[in-house]
Amino acid sequence: MCSVHDTVEFEKRGIPATMVLTGVFKNAAIHQFRVRGLDGHPFVELPHPISNLTPAEMREVTLRYIDEIVRNLTT
Amino acid sequence: MANDLPFIDPTRGGSKTQLARAPRPMDLAGMTVGLLDNTKEQADIILETIGTALREKYGVAEVIMRRKGYYSRPAPAELINDMANKVQVAIAAVGG
Amino acid sequence: MNPAIDEFQFFLEKEWSDGFPVVTPTDDRVRWMLQGTRRDPESIVGHVPPAGEVATVRDIAVHALMAGCKPEYLPVVLGAMQLILRDEFNMAGVQCTMHGVAPLMIVNGPYAQQIGLHGGNGCFGPGFRANATIGRAIRLLLMNLGAGLAGKASATVFATPLRYTACLTENVERTPWETLAVSRRYAQHENVITCAIVESPRLHFDDVSIEPQRLLRGIADSMTSTGSWNMWFSSDVVVAMSPQHAALCAKAGMTRAEVQKRLWELAERPQANLKQGGNWRPERARAMGIDPDDDDYPIKAVKDLERLHLIVAGGMGPITAICHGWNDSSRAVHGTYET
Repeated sequence: MCSVHDTVEFEKRGIPATMVLTGVFKNAAIHQFRVRGLDGHPFVELPHPISNLTPAEMREVTLRYIDEIVRNLTT
Repeated sequence: MANDLPFIDPTRGGSKTQLARAPRPMDLAGMTVGLLDNTKEQADIILETIGTALREKYGVAEVIMRRKGYYSRPAPAELINDMANKVQVAIAAVGG
Repeated sequence: MNPAIDEFQFFLEKEWSDGFPVVTPTDDRVRWMLQGTRRDPESIVGHVPPAGEVATVRDIAVHALMAGCKPEYLPVVLGAMQLILRDEFNMAGVQCTMHGVAPLMIVNGPYAQQIGLHGGNGCFGPGFRANATIGRAIRLLLMNLGAGLAGKASATVFATPLRYTACLTENVERTPWETLAVSRRYAQHENVITCAIVESPRLHFDDVSIEPQRLLRGIADSMTSTGSWNMWFSSDVVVAMSPQHAALCAKAGMTRAEVQKRLWELAERPQANLKQGGNWRPERARAMGIDPDDDDYPIKAVKDLERLHLIVAGGMGPITAICHGWNDSSRAVHGTYET
């Protein structure tokens, strides 16, 4: 998926990067990171689906994952 | 061993060269964070929420948001280069 | 040398196998296949996403050989690979998407006839070596060099039978019109490939209409399916009219361009109708500049006339095949190829 490509491109430029996706794409992301040379790269998996969440619900779900995002970007 | 085969094996990807991960900072205090919106539904809300939370709770100094032309398409190199010149860490959303 | 290896089992067990046996590649056979091109075997055609492995002319020849191609098919395979690796086609996205779409190759020009590409009865199905193996060569490249494997890097839910092979030509013997390539101002003698990212064909039967307007209204209706992404993006669509349906229009004096335009005009649904199921969401309407509360708003199946790729193919019979598209991150591509 494009976000895997973009994350890899940032990493290649020395910029720590991560991405957010929904659960149904988790397996695809794992394999795409592997074939692009960043095997095991961490990303954040939101519960699927999200397309039917209201904006308030989407914010609330996202806030549960901020710590994990920060962990992916720091030592 | 491939040399023992009486035919050609064109299989690729067996031992993909792994790239070096970018070194990580200790924390995000004072940093500029890049947010890359792939225009897929909910990506903007997810990234705005992340940007606000990082500023309020993790001391991030600045958030730069960029939106791609189409989702499902890799970001053009110019966009990545431009962001890489301005940010210290990046988050892309939403995959799929 | 290990005499115990069964070459067929060896390749059938490969992660990138399409589930069918391949022609075992040997140095002799690859040399034979490379007779089909004057290009330097080591020259790079592109990098196949998402893995990004390099595809040289030799690599493409090896996969064409495995697929069962003859050397004279190689120019088409090379030309098609060049096209599908163009940025605007977004093969990277297609290799990974949840959707079940594949690049469909429509080959026009005299070389297609010369090598036996088939555009008549059964042209979407098995039985025609050029169609089957040229399309298959592309797929093997996408799976081996690209690693777009279902359940792994590809999140495709169902995939599509078009991911076994998807290559055809038009029924030039029976078409009343110019080909798709000629309609795009290529010369009659030019050899052209058009590739579009589409789903499997959906068949629209009409053995009742005796004039084109009713026929085209029906075909247009089949183009506007609930649950299709054509309604919510600017997507490509391929419409393959059988010679019988095309003749009905041509005998009434309609040109190819007029039929294309009429289908584009007619293929729309009022928004209220699309709300009853499928993938309508207010955000999707707003993203297209449409008020989600405007129930009467006519939503077009093809936003851009140029993205309606009309061809005449198949045998005689009252059927038109419609292949819905993907989204606007991929644009159909076309170009000449070297024979």
